[in-house]
Amino acid sequence: MAGKPGTTFLPPVMRLTLLVALLAAGCGPRTATDPVEQLRIGWNRFRVSEFDQAAAAFEKARDSTLPDSPLHAQALYGLASTWHLRRPGDDRPHAKELYEQVVELAPKSDEAAWSLLALARLKHVPPVGQEPDLEEVRRAYQEVIDRFPGHLAGHEAFLHQQATRVAAYRPEEARQVLATIDAFIRRYPDSRFLSPLYDLESLCHFVLDEPEKRLAAELESLESREIDPTNPNMDNAAVYWTVACVAQYEVGDFATARKFYKLLLEEYPADVRSFGAKQALKGMDELEAKIRSETAARKPAAGGAP
Amino acid sequence: MIGRALGFLRGWFPLFVVAGVFLWSAATIFSRRAEEDADDTITLRIGHWQLEAGVRDGLNALAADYQEVWHRQWESGGASAEGKVWRELYPDKPKVRIVQDAIPETTYGQWVSTQLMGGTAPDMMEIWLGLQYPMWVSYLNRYFVDLTPYANRPNPHNAGTDFEKLPLRKTYKDGLRGAFVEELQSYVNVPVSQFAVRIFYNRDLLRELTGQEKPPTEYRAFLALCEKIRSGRTAAGKPYVPIASSAYHFTMWEYMLFDALTYPAHTKIDFNRDAFINNDEVYAGFRTGRVSFDFPAYRAKLVMSREVASYFQDGYTGLNRDDAVFLFAQQKAVFITTGTWDARSLQEQAKGKFTVGVAEFPLPLRTDPEFGGLIEGPIYERPNTAACFGVVRTSKYPDVAIDFLLFLASKRGNEKLNRYFGWIPAIRDTQKDPLLEDFEPHLEGVYLAMNMNLWVETYTKWLQVYAKYKADPKYSIDDFAKEFGKFYQERAPRDWDELQKQWRDGTLTMEQFLAGARSRALVARGAEAEGEWVRYRVMTAVRQVALQLQHARLLDLVEKGPDPGAIGPYEYTPHALRNVRERLARQGGGGRP
Repeated sequence: MAGKPGTTFLPPVMRLTLLVALLAAGCGPRTATDPVEQLRIGWNRFRVSEFDQAAAAFEKARDSTLPDSPLHAQALYGLASTWHLRRPGDDRPHAKELYEQVVELAPKSDEAAWSLLALARLKHVPPVGQEPDLEEVRRAYQEVIDRFPGHLAGHEAFLHQQATRVAAYRPEEARQVLATIDAFIRRYPDSRFLSPLYDLESLCHFVLDEPEKRLAAELESLESREIDPTNPNMDNAAVYWTVACVAQYEVGDFATARKFYKLLLEEYPADVRSFGAKQALKGMDELEAKIRSETAARKPAAGGAP
Repeated sequence: MIGRALGFLRGWFPLFVVAGVFLWSAATIFSRRAEEDADDTITLRIGHWQLEAGVRDGLNALAADYQEVWHRQWESGGASAEGKVWRELYPDKPKVRIVQDAIPETTYGQWVSTQLMGGTAPDMMEIWLGLQYPMWVSYLNRYFVDLTPYANRPNPHNAGTDFEKLPLRKTYKDGLRGAFVEELQSYVNVPVSQFAVRIFYNRDLLRELTGQEKPPTEYRAFLALCEKIRSGRTAAGKPYVPIASSAYHFTMWEYMLFDALTYPAHTKIDFNRDAFINNDEVYAGFRTGRVSFDFPAYRAKLVMSREVASYFQDGYTGLNRDDAVFLFAQQKAVFITTGTWDARSLQEQAKGKFTVGVAEFPLPLRTDPEFGGLIEGPIYERPNTAACFGVVRTSKYPDVAIDFLLFLASKRGNEKLNRYFGWIPAIRDTQKDPLLEDFEPHLEGVYLAMNMNLWVETYTKWLQVYAKYKADPKYSIDDFAKEFGKFYQERAPRDWDELQKQWRDGTLTMEQFLAGARSRALVARGAEAEGEWVRYRVMTAVRQVALQLQHARLLDLVEKGPDPGAIGPYEYTPHALRNVRERLARQGGGGRP
């Protein structure tokens, strides 16, 4: 019994043999055309700025995967990043198309979240010589926030979005940002971007001339700060210094200022700020002594002989 | 016939010469490479620019030590972990040889580019000279091996010492900061020394001319001593030069002494309170009227530079480094300022003739009538390590090259290497040359607050006007301020715009870096993923968002223009002062809270 033309050009035994061979190939060691391997090569090449090789690897990964495969979305995202960020030779329109394809093909994936964020960054950081349309930029960030509210990309989008408003250094914007960030923190108290969000709040209070609230925000930022232990330049010295300076010069809260200058001296004695910290401690003592002596000098006059 | 042959030879002679030279050089290179590639030997090449006395000897000595260590480990085979690995990886290579490529400073950058791009680079290269910083960063990213994993592991060559179990970075005086490149978030090199700049002096000549054993550490007394030296006469009847200098040496005086006077400006213009005054903060300071060329600290720097330079030899601005060293070595000058990198060379040149001493830069007293109100301390010296060597990716034996660098960074190896160099070891708890005892870095001090290097045009003009001021005693500070001030007002805005473009370009580069960091985090799993994400988030917050906001603040200040009465970052606001007064009043003038 003959089958339909076009479907029986290989006898069943051969078909079975071919199937077994294909399965065996799939189960065997990964070859250079393995999409996982190509993705690895692509990002390695990307990170060392070998963009032609990166693009070639991502293209191979894309071409060897089906559109509904997660690997396909990863390949497209890698390729989009390459065309977006390669210097020289970037192709932003092509990158945009590729990011949009990721969102379309795998709308719930990590790659879709990061692609949406990248689309917003494309608008926020245009080529040198062009200025971003900030309203459009904020809308693009809002799309990431709306579609991926609990995802790190959504939180990062929120951070960038609010930073565009703070950067105006205007009181009306600062008030709006404070309200928005407060609401966000209430909703996401465990957000991994809490510390930089408190930094934004500190700047808002600076713009609004609210030094006590600024100091409180600085302390919250320190409390929630993440430190990269692999970076030898990343420590708390700069943060202690900032908190102490705000306390000393803006609030006049010498107790807090002294506490953080001393922490700086104890933990980072070789830091460039250690000299300034000692000077600041001395300066506060001198200022207090001066005020005391002025007060003491005024008292007899006030309570002087009738 | 002979005439025709001669004519032929005349016509083709240049070509024969060129072909001959080519064949000779090809044969030389071939025979050297053949020698280097001996069957049983791993040959590693190390490229550097350190032509100072002792450096090549030191590297040769450490190379010889390493050859022994390698051979011993290889011979031991399975008896040691290292031996087992080496024997497995290189079963037919029981020997290692290290060859130096010492390249002059003037051509080093060009040489590096050619070697890296041509794929002919040595296995190890010293980095950071001859190219702009961003160029080096891009080379490090593209051509060098990432050494981050080694930074967090013990150095195997510290076995048997008290550093045996410490990660490499904890064995460094600076915690290995000198090897970490922020832009790449990686350790990409192995530093071997520390440097500092001080005043060197001819101890015998100083005694002979002034009766003093040591120069004073106070500024006015130092100038008086220079005056006394100048009144002395050489055998030829010429006056002695108090300070041997050159364009190269002037920058050291400037950095280590004159710039200390500019520190008070930080209270006005360190807008982001990072204890560092950038070129853009200086520009914003000028635009907002918080500083100017009438600012006492800035004028003081110019006054002091002229006072000190009056004791340099005539025409020093046109002389180079070697001219000044020659004058010092000939015993025609008493002082010279330079870094530890020259210490051994100076000692060698003085050998058998005079004794070299080392002194601190002389600071004005707080009671000094002119500078006393401005000087707050010596210049802070970041305890960073330097003389950094990286491993090139094209190396045939990158693991052996890394191991050799680790050998140089071991406690014993580093101490020995620096004893040859005459430099300060980079590794903790090591002994240094007695001459260098006074080279402990100043870990408490002030920093420069007058960076005029805004962009090409402004900085070029600054250098021109400064050169005129240094060369012509009749050109006053007011002339300087007038000429440069006018230019700064008119042309600096254009340079500021260029700087903004550069800033934007840097932002794009950071986007690229963060995409790479994110890709690592996305594929990592478990604890490694958490570490990668922390790194990504921190970089996003610090280098993307915070920098954008600091930059926006400066743009805002520049756009708003003059506001000379504004309160500086290290000045009390009325609100703060009121709070302090109220608190003290509540305490009844009593003690601290």
